[in-house]
Amino acid sequence: MSQQIPLTWFLYFAAASFSIGLMGVLMRRNAIGVLMAIEIMLNAANVNFVAFWRYGPTPASEGPISGVMMALFVVTVAAAEVAVGVGLILLCYRRWRAADVDELDTLSG
Amino acid sequence: MIQALFIALSAFGLLMALGTVFARNLVNAALFLVAFFFVIACQFVLLEAEFMAAIQVLIYIGAVTVILMFGIMLTRNIQGDETTTVTRPWRLLGLGAFGTVCTVLVLGINAYQPWTDLSVRPEFPVTKDSTTARGQAILSMTPTVGREMMTRYVVAFELAGLLLTAALVGAVVLAQHDSTDVVNARADKPGSDPAVTGS
Repeated sequence: MSQQIPLTWFLYFAAASFSIGLMGVLMRRNAIGVLMAIEIMLNAANVNFVAFWRYGPTPASEGPISGVMMALFVVTVAAAEVAVGVGLILLCYRRWRAADVDELDTLSG
Repeated sequence: MIQALFIALSAFGLLMALGTVFARNLVNAALFLVAFFFVIACQFVLLEAEFMAAIQVLIYIGAVTVILMFGIMLTRNIQGDETTTVTRPWRLLGLGAFGTVCTVLVLGINAYQPWTDLSVRPEFPVTKDSTTARGQAILSMTPTVGREMMTRYVVAFELAGLLLTAALVGAVVLAQHDSTDVVNARADKPGSDPAVTGS
């Protein structure tokens, strides 16, 4: 039997993915690109949830699959967020003919 | 063997994430994002959560990417691909944020002893203690998820249903073509083409 993967490797991968997603949120001008970077960050968080569920102890009060259920609900909320986000971006694009986040500055006075 | 597989997979996934962030063409970025989602699904398989991997492929690769593709196609005609990235000071700021957050997270992970000690995942032997329930859950995750959703997480399940319904109706209302919006847009931008904005 080969050696197993330590928990910290999954945490390192998730941390690096999260940082890349954060960088994308800061560096993208197009709003769709910002949404994509947010999806990367949410996926990194999901990897953490499932990794801690698999490696950590399970108290009997939490049920057998607590981390997986949390990740499932994160996926649900992320899907709803993308649908509403793309709807908002289309609305802004139709009004101002721009999907860049730095051109949508009507509220800044 | 499995460690080498994990390293290769993670390096590929991080490269795909970087491609998503840095690709000039947004369609290319979406394709990189598909590859990244698939790597995440592979990580779930490595973590013995095959149901999560299936959900990842179905929802993220199947639904979310298609929605993003529609968003790209409906918004990218006027702006060229050169507007997808920002100017140099913002680029430096983003790189600085990346370095800072990544360093802090890695140092924090390294500093916490109970996490670095967890190098072997718990086995699931066929005994009567609490790990047996998880072993059964890993072996038959789909019925376990259904049972948990109907018992322990029923309130969260109903709330998720409410949220999805509200998001569906909200997205339809937002993306609906409204004639008053067109009038406002014409008033805001007199130079815009009425043939484009008119219904």
